[in-house]
Amino acid sequence: MDRLPTSTGLLPKRQPRDGRALPALAAALLLVALSAFSQGNPLPAEKAFRFSARLLDAHTVEARFFIAEGYYLYRDRVHFAVEPAGAGLSVPPLPGGQVKEDQFFGRVETYRGDVVVKLTLNDAKPGQQVVIEAQSQGCADIGLCYPPTVQRVTLALPEASVVPQTSGDGGKKPWLN
Amino acid sequence: MRRRVRNALLLGGVGALALAAGLWFAAPDRGELSSDRLFALELPDTAGVKQPLKQWRGKILVVNFWATWCEPCREEMPEFARAQSELGPRGVQFVGIAVDQADKVGRFAKEINLNYPALVGGYEAMELSRSVGNELVALPFTIVIDRNGRIADTHLGPMKPQQLRSILDKML
Repeated sequence: MDRLPTSTGLLPKRQPRDGRALPALAAALLLVALSAFSQGNPLPAEKAFRFSARLLDAHTVEARFFIAEGYYLYRDRVHFAVEPAGAGLSVPPLPGGQVKEDQFFGRVETYRGDVVVKLTLNDAKPGQQVVIEAQSQGCADIGLCYPPTVQRVTLALPEASVVPQTSGDGGKKPWLN
Repeated sequence: MRRRVRNALLLGGVGALALAAGLWFAAPDRGELSSDRLFALELPDTAGVKQPLKQWRGKILVVNFWATWCEPCREEMPEFARAQSELGPRGVQFVGIAVDQADKVGRFAKEINLNYPALVGGYEAMELSRSVGNELVALPFTIVIDRNGRIADTHLGPMKPQQLRSILDKML
């Protein structure tokens, strides 16, 4: 029997098994082709940094970014606004992110995964409709950056005597269309 | 069918599929992209002086959309500057269009001793990049235009030096 040198000694040479190796290789090639389909195309900003908001009670909004894997947002470029402005939005200090040294901007903090921020609507009226506007700017690990993107969620505040309902995502309007 | 023949056909078929998928994503359809809108642009440089893009018609023009807030953009620019030094005498002209604030652009250009024009663009510049193939409106985005004013290549994301050089070498 032929023997091949290996680091642990000599191993007997095996006969190739046609039946298994080639279809397995074919399947592997197909997987590579399919992954080229998905990884070759970066996501648009609204999918990479999807924003969503829901009411926790008559004055509290839970704002959330779902950041896709392989993407990150800059903490100091996250901004919130409300329409109408009279609803009286307050934004707490944002959660801390991962610290990174940027050669041009110095110390920056970035977010990955899910980011949750509790916003307060100080002067919202019962039954009022408000639009929560979130601005964010981020990049993809593969080496792309997106311009600041605005996403909007419409929320309906409960009537005075009604138990607050949670609302889903409203219309989203990206900054650049 | 004999097992070997079947396997060879299977492998060949999947190989062809993989190749086709690779080509599909590597080669954007540039047939209808026109450089007219690009050459019609007039943008200020960091000194505030308006620069018409049409002054560079006839060059092998490399237009790079970038921003100081785009780290991968900043990282590839020294290589562009090297290529500008080397290939400038042979008719290559790099032009940067920064979607950014003039003062930040000026500061960065000075820091890296940028040897090609840094123009300042805004929303309009991003929209223009979309019209020539930048569907995601992301940065960096690079367009190469030949001496006849035709768009020879567009690229989203950082360009590897060899990639850029091989595109330019074909046109020199």
